[in-house]
Amino acid sequence: MLLELKKLSKWTSQGGERVYLLRDIDLRVEEGEFISIMGPSGSGKSTLLNVIGMLDDFDQGEYHFLGEAVHRMKEKQRARLQKEHIGFVFQAYHLLDELTVYENIETPLLYKNIKSAERKALVGDMLDRFRMVGKKDLFPAQLSGGQQQLVGVARALIAKPRLLLADEPTGNLNSRQSREIMELFKELNQEGVTIIQATHSEFNASYARRTLHLLDGRWTDTPEL
Amino acid sequence: MFKNYLKIAWRNLRKNRVFSFINIFGLSLGLASFLLIALYVADELSYDRFHEHADRIYRVNSDMRMGETDLHLAQSSDPMGEALLNEFPQVENFVRLYNNDGAKLIRHGQQFLNETRVAHADSTLFDVFTLPVVAGSSKEALTKPNTVVISRSSAERYFGTPQAAIGQTLETDDAGQTFYEVTAVFEDLPEQSHFNIDFFFSMANVDYPFGNYGSHNFYTYLLLREGADPAEFPTKFESYIRKYLEPMLREYLDTDLESFRASGNRIEYTLMPLTDIHLHSDRSAEISPSGDIQNIYIFALAALFVLVIACVNFMNLSTARSAKRAKEVGIRKTLGTGKRELVRQFLTESVMLAFIALLLAVGLCWLALSWFNGISGKVLEITDLLQPAYLIFLLLLPLLVGTLAGLYPAFFLAAFKPVIVLKGLGGGGGKSESRLRSALVVFQFAASIILIVGTLVIYNQLEYIRNARVGFDREQVVVVNTEGMSQNTRSAFKNDIASLAGVRSATFAGYLPVANSSRGDTSFSMDPVMTENSIFNMQIWRTDYDYIPTMGMELLEGRNFSPEFGSDSLAVIINERAAELMGEANPIGKKIYHMDPDFETSVAYTVIGMVRDFNFESLRQNVGPLAMWLGRNDWRTAFRVVPADLENTLAQIEARFTEMAPGMPFSYDFLDESFDQMYRQEQRMGKVALSFAVLAILIACLGLFGLVTYVAERRTKEIGIRKVLGASLPNILTLLSRDFLKLVAIAFLIGCPIAWWGMDRWLQDFAYRTPIGVWIFVVAGVAAIGIALVTVGFKAVKAGMVNPINSLRTE
Repeated sequence: MLLELKKLSKWTSQGGERVYLLRDIDLRVEEGEFISIMGPSGSGKSTLLNVIGMLDDFDQGEYHFLGEAVHRMKEKQRARLQKEHIGFVFQAYHLLDELTVYENIETPLLYKNIKSAERKALVGDMLDRFRMVGKKDLFPAQLSGGQQQLVGVARALIAKPRLLLADEPTGNLNSRQSREIMELFKELNQEGVTIIQATHSEFNASYARRTLHLLDGRWTDTPEL
Repeated sequence: MFKNYLKIAWRNLRKNRVFSFINIFGLSLGLASFLLIALYVADELSYDRFHEHADRIYRVNSDMRMGETDLHLAQSSDPMGEALLNEFPQVENFVRLYNNDGAKLIRHGQQFLNETRVAHADSTLFDVFTLPVVAGSSKEALTKPNTVVISRSSAERYFGTPQAAIGQTLETDDAGQTFYEVTAVFEDLPEQSHFNIDFFFSMANVDYPFGNYGSHNFYTYLLLREGADPAEFPTKFESYIRKYLEPMLREYLDTDLESFRASGNRIEYTLMPLTDIHLHSDRSAEISPSGDIQNIYIFALAALFVLVIACVNFMNLSTARSAKRAKEVGIRKTLGTGKRELVRQFLTESVMLAFIALLLAVGLCWLALSWFNGISGKVLEITDLLQPAYLIFLLLLPLLVGTLAGLYPAFFLAAFKPVIVLKGLGGGGGKSESRLRSALVVFQFAASIILIVGTLVIYNQLEYIRNARVGFDREQVVVVNTEGMSQNTRSAFKNDIASLAGVRSATFAGYLPVANSSRGDTSFSMDPVMTENSIFNMQIWRTDYDYIPTMGMELLEGRNFSPEFGSDSLAVIINERAAELMGEANPIGKKIYHMDPDFETSVAYTVIGMVRDFNFESLRQNVGPLAMWLGRNDWRTAFRVVPADLENTLAQIEARFTEMAPGMPFSYDFLDESFDQMYRQEQRMGKVALSFAVLAILIACLGLFGLVTYVAERRTKEIGIRKVLGASLPNILTLLSRDFLKLVAIAFLIGCPIAWWGMDRWLQDFAYRTPIGVWIFVVAGVAAIGIALVTVGFKAVKAGMVNPINSLRTE
């Protein structure tokens, strides 16, 4: 088992009243799964991904990642765990504008203190694999949205994470580009990467082997409501 | 509409309190220092302009070179004015001032007061200068001997009212005892006068061999006719020299003007405009210590520097804040607000901030004024600002600064594309913009580094002077003014005090190696017959047997004066420099010849001793040749005292003095304090440089803080992404500081050579100077980088702690 959430809740206080962003969420994710989380805007998809990605904390419940109790961890340990095992893909790509494709992909390795020669090899492999060797010296602004997201995925994968979290990864892309990214996800999943994606799109969701529905911060079995 | 702008500006100001405070405070610091300096500079520039004919009054300066010695005098000879008036129609009038003694004792009831603001003047005083008469009459005021005109405050001090003073007599110690009748009272001279005299005595009472073209002891002021061209005077002076001085050269030096000049000597006269005297004169024996135009330049430059730095900050901070207001601009634009209205709104805002800053600046200025007066030695008042010229300036300044500072952010903001802004993609801001900002930071820090280096060099040099070996021991010497004591009791006084337990030795010390002491300068010759080649000038000081030991001077060769040798009245002790000039390694036994003032006979003096060179002028100058001989110098008496129980010793000295000179003022100085006074200007400079350095650094830090805020805001997203990718807090800190440190390093590279060049030139004024050590630059660099790091770090930590998901939200 990769991770497990037990009765996890997160809330904010507005005028003395609790507003739940996530409420009593239970979730078990096995290694190698491909899960889609669906739900309307404001249902808590992004919040859930942020919590799973350890970018955000929660107020109640338990979170176990690779058998470790995340809810008891200090900030630093969580950061280490995240750096080690989790990669992120964003709707708006979030590439660093002033860095080239090559440098963008390399960045996570810099923060893991990996030696220069090894970095070169790793980035080189990744560029090969994504067929972007020719574009490695371009800046994000010189790429199409689909290519940018490709770089985003490559960057997320460079540190060899066990879990890939993707928040609306195709939200800014056209349908052809979307399909390419989804095909890529499928391929990655087949290679053993666990993927959790949040999406609005039924079509994208269909790539996953399991689809969950969120509404107002809770799981729901009747998504059409 | 305008009201609406103001309202929004005010709300914005209140919303961003810290930011507004930094912005306004930085600018007001700059403005306040600018105001202070403006007051100071205006005051310095206003010297002597109150005279109605200020633009037509000139003073005759004399420059001479005889032997190896240069003399630059503010005085000229006594017949000079008369001769010029008679021979050159351009001269309308002239007046001479004479204050050779520098002070007089004047009876006030049972007491005598030591009055230092005294001079003798010609009766034309009131024709040349503008001295409003408040009682009596200026007509024939000083025409008769034994008359005096006094200032209003002196009249009030001595007689109660100006009117009461007229016809009264003042008793002075001139020639033992002389009475003067007060014939007029004039309004006190303003502070901004190069002479501050309270008592003008009749010239007829001056005991002087008048008619001597060769001696220069009178301040001579010419009033030129309207339209007269001072440029004609060089030729006039040349004919004057030929007519009056060349015959003297022939008679006494057996030479003519051409060969006198050919051998490197010279005599020259020049006119100096009255209004230039205060700032441009560097002549010895000015009536009162003069200012220095160089200081004005340095002050003005520093103030301008600080103001520019402050304005730059204002701009940078406003731009920085604009990033936060991009959204407001976007919304306004979609609501149809035009670019022009936006520009106007932002300009209104920045001008408003500038006005608030100005009000604060006036307040700061008011608070700082007494401190500033302390370091600048001025008596400036905040009400000096209440002049039309200043007021207009005060209104225009924030308008200008506000507009200049607001212009860039205004256009920067107005140029935002609403769609992009509302999408949350941030405003524009291209490469050129960031380059401009970088240049501004470099400028600020280069200025700070220059000021830090300047401050360190000045203080280092002052410390060097303090510890310099000056050739005499200035510690524990009390110098008592014995002018008020009758001459025949002075010896008894000296001997009485010398026998006190707390006193080691005593000497008459009319000539002292500190400023404002008597000086004597005269010509000597190596041969019995004085020729232009054998003649040389040197200081000649009258001393007594105890002078050298009491002053702690070191005899290198020969012996001190001693009563055991009957012939010591024709002996001299010279310093090393004089021996060098004579070309003698060991001058003992050599003879030098001195001409009597009447130039008739020469008297031979034997060198009996040589002392180590001691600094008798400030360390700005090299030690000149000097000789000492026995003679009367009892108007000051110096005592070397035991440090323990000094107060008691001083009390004993005073008691003895009052006993022997009843009713006379008792005053004393410590020799080391008088020595330090010679460097008051430098100390002042040091304090000013220090204040400006602190100010510049403070403002530069405010600016840097603003910029880091700006950059952190602009790079929030990048920081967020990097954190998600695994960047730690130190990673983020490095990311944000690196660029700024690079800028500070560039500033250092630019600032150091400039600072070195400037301070090296400043040090050239000192004959004795300490080199500018590398450590000074190291300290300045470390300080600048340290300060920058702390400033940047503070903000960077804050930026690095933000949860990345807050900065990565897309909606």
